[in-house]
Amino acid sequence: MPHVLHKKDFWAGVLYIVFGAAAFWIGREYPMGTAGRMGAGYFPTILSVILMLIGLLSAARAFAQEGEAVGAIAWKPLAFVVGSTALFGLLLPSAGLVVALLVLILVSAAASQHFRFDPNAAAGLILLVAFCTLVFVKALGVPMPLVGSWFGE
Amino acid sequence: METLSNLWLGLETALTFWNLAYCMVGVLLGTAIGVLPGLGPTATIAMLLPVTFGLPPVSALIMLAGIYYGAQYGGSTTAILVNLPGESSSVVTALDGYQMARQGKAGRALATAAIGSFFAGTVATVLLAVFAPPLADLALQFGPAEYFSLMVLGLVASVVLAHGSLLHAFGMIILGLILGLIGTDVNSGTTRYTFGFPEIADGINFVVVAMGVFGLGEIIGNLANESTRTVMAKTVTGLMPTKDDMKQMAAPVLRGTVLGSMLGILPGGGAMLASFAAYTLEKKVSKHPERFGKGAIEGVAGPESANNAGAQTSFIPMLTLGIPSNPVMALMIGAMIMQGIQPGPSVMTEQPVLFWGLIVSMWIGNLFLLVLNLPLIGLWVRMISVPYHFLYPAILVFCAIGVFSLNNATFDVYLMAIFGFLGYIFRKLDCEPAPMLLGFILGPMMEEHLRRAMLISKGDATVFLSRPISATMLLLALILLATVLAPAVRQKREEAFQEEA
Amino acid sequence: MKALKLLSAAALGIAISAPALAAGYPEKPITVVVPFPAGGASDTTARVTTQKMQESLGQPIVVENKPGANGSLGAGQVAKAKPDGYTLIVGSIGVYAINPVLYKSLPYDPTKDFDLLTVAVRTPNVLVANPNFPANSVKELVEYLKKNPEKVTFASSGAGSSDHLTAALFWQKTGTTGVHVPYKGGAPAITDLIGGHADVSFQNLGAVSNHIKAGKLRLLAVTADKRNPAFPDAPTMKEAGVEGVEVYSWQAVAAPKGLPADVKGKLEQSLTAALNTPDVKGRFNDIGFEVVANTSGQFSEFLNQEISRWKTVVETGKITADQ
Repeated sequence: MPHVLHKKDFWAGVLYIVFGAAAFWIGREYPMGTAGRMGAGYFPTILSVILMLIGLLSAARAFAQEGEAVGAIAWKPLAFVVGSTALFGLLLPSAGLVVALLVLILVSAAASQHFRFDPNAAAGLILLVAFCTLVFVKALGVPMPLVGSWFGE
Repeated sequence: METLSNLWLGLETALTFWNLAYCMVGVLLGTAIGVLPGLGPTATIAMLLPVTFGLPPVSALIMLAGIYYGAQYGGSTTAILVNLPGESSSVVTALDGYQMARQGKAGRALATAAIGSFFAGTVATVLLAVFAPPLADLALQFGPAEYFSLMVLGLVASVVLAHGSLLHAFGMIILGLILGLIGTDVNSGTTRYTFGFPEIADGINFVVVAMGVFGLGEIIGNLANESTRTVMAKTVTGLMPTKDDMKQMAAPVLRGTVLGSMLGILPGGGAMLASFAAYTLEKKVSKHPERFGKGAIEGVAGPESANNAGAQTSFIPMLTLGIPSNPVMALMIGAMIMQGIQPGPSVMTEQPVLFWGLIVSMWIGNLFLLVLNLPLIGLWVRMISVPYHFLYPAILVFCAIGVFSLNNATFDVYLMAIFGFLGYIFRKLDCEPAPMLLGFILGPMMEEHLRRAMLISKGDATVFLSRPISATMLLLALILLATVLAPAVRQKREEAFQEEA
Repeated sequence: MKALKLLSAAALGIAISAPALAAGYPEKPITVVVPFPAGGASDTTARVTTQKMQESLGQPIVVENKPGANGSLGAGQVAKAKPDGYTLIVGSIGVYAINPVLYKSLPYDPTKDFDLLTVAVRTPNVLVANPNFPANSVKELVEYLKKNPEKVTFASSGAGSSDHLTAALFWQKTGTTGVHVPYKGGAPAITDLIGGHADVSFQNLGAVSNHIKAGKLRLLAVTADKRNPAFPDAPTMKEAGVEGVEVYSWQAVAAPKGLPADVKGKLEQSLTAALNTPDVKGRFNDIGFEVVANTSGQFSEFLNQEISRWKTVVETGKITADQ
């Protein structure tokens, strides 16, 4: 068994193949049509095949060429940043903008090693929430509830 | 002579106190909003549209136009400072602008963008005043076949955006093309890859992808390396471009202006390509293409000029034909209709005050932008010297609210989170997101035009070669592809020879 | 004392549990959902109308754009909203009459989920051609189509749009066929028509009237029951010899099903009053719209007719937009 020398190329290849295969698999239901009257499936099928080929090429190249290792995945920032964003979406209609913002800011900030909840941070937090309320809701009229359905009207 | 008297009429209109004020307010609002990531000009103008109903038509349009180019300018500021492109055009600015910022040259990058934009805006305004009607007729020559070939050229050009592996550049473009297919197929009405979510039946918004892959991806990447390197350069070297910088940026600004002005006229998505095309051109003509992607000033000057020139000339099809070339122009047309003005060829003859007043106001607005933003640069630069652990939650907040405001839907916020995850993975695997984003923009348009061209030609594929404009662009694409591939092929051959020897 | 408390609590309870007492309606801002982006026909209709309505209702009316999936995303949300009169929808013929016959799964049923209020405005569609196209009249077009089947390109603002279905209806009534070329909205279709990349199209009068006046497009016929005052020389379809192709694009107002009767009455009254003010009428006329302002009964009867007509067109033409 030959060694994977270029880990990044290998995994990138796998990523392309996965996306290509998924697009191909889902797209097989769309009508192909003809070159003159292309159906909805024509373009996606061609593209997903090309993507899979590029993926194979990239993965194959990984056995021939040396390259860097992928390195450790930063799970904590990844989970905190992605998670806090999703939480914001979840909380916005139910808990309202103020709570959603507090959660988004505090959870995402906790991903940093320098995170400390001191008076400075608290002041920044209040300022940011106030700014968003004034600018987005009051001035621009973005339809976001300040207080969500959980707390009555 | 007629042009002069028309311009005089425009000056008279634009220089009244209230119109100047509305222009200033528009530019200010636009800049402020453009700086906030996610909240692009389309969302802003849509939100402020009702406010303008009470104004006289000229003032309303002057203000809306001001918001448009102000926001475009503000958007580049965010792209340079924190690597957050809020619009397709600023993706390119972020490439080298952000690298300059990291090297402590944020001020110089911002000033370059401001000066380049002003110059381009001035030239484009003159073009608009002198050549609007003939240019609009030229735009009509572009049918589906021409647009398809233009998109092919754009795709090939996007390979040049990447500074790493060529194979990955191709891979990411194709991935972008596939992501762009998500939504309703224009030709058959079939919804594709929507997994039954009606929220993405119209496709995923570009801003969602850009904010996720660039914005969130960048934040996660920075946090991962928090202990090993400082995120921002501590020392800021000079706020203004040096004499040397000026010399370096002169030619790119000029080329960008010409390229942007031409592409901006095309209503079918030409302006979107302006900054990409300018970047490609600069990298191709440069003696040191390896500097691109690592903080080359030409990589900021060219695209920013092209972008602003394109933004101005995209008014040409709107004002002379009533054809919107982008969502913002569609909103402007909506605003005109609400004001009781029917957009179309007659605007120029029936509403000369509006037409010329608007054109002159655009130049004045560009002047405002320059005067306003040069002193502001110091403030912006100080802003990014705020410790990163304070800065990034704020960036995240603006991304989330901005993305929400696109369709007033939390679904887009979730999508952004997913793209943030993907963005981090791409970064770990050295897959550059810029070519993917261009593929994402071009994919649906390319398919749409290809299929429409084939439909109109009744399945005859030679239309792409028999129509001169289309054939020229395909030829250009071929040449460009050859020059992109040649070095890589040569390198491979040399390696092979070395191995044999 | 205790009894008094109980009594007042009960009274309070009655007051709260009786939202039908609409004397106070509206007590807070009303949201009008437009299931299309800002700047379009539905958006314009909503904004022009509500501007007048807020004066008579005494509360601000907020127009909220919820675009997506041909308008069915926003319409689905309104269908599920509380029927308290604080959420309304302004939608197009597509939302009310075409989506239901075109899509298998729709998050709403316009005849069951809405209290229909009024058809606000309508605009006739017109048959326009590129000036270089060989046919100068409907008659010539039909002859040309018969001689050249599957050759003439019909631009439309999208698969399943009202102008696509109008073209299909036209083919069915004249026994001809053409090539349907869908675009992403009306504007690019008109652009390609002016540029000569497509041959003919059915478009809203308002969207093309300026191009017709400027000679960039040739007007062949109006799909209305009478000639249009702005273009008195253009025949109606019927006059041109084609029966049954009377098509309007219309914009209508509805609310979630189950409005309290007096709220509904108040809304209807305020809507009709607003639509009939000379100022609002004038603004709609300027952009090629004609104010209809019919009653909810007339709207519901009209809607049933429209749905059954388009159902026939879709079934006869085997048109699908949803696979």
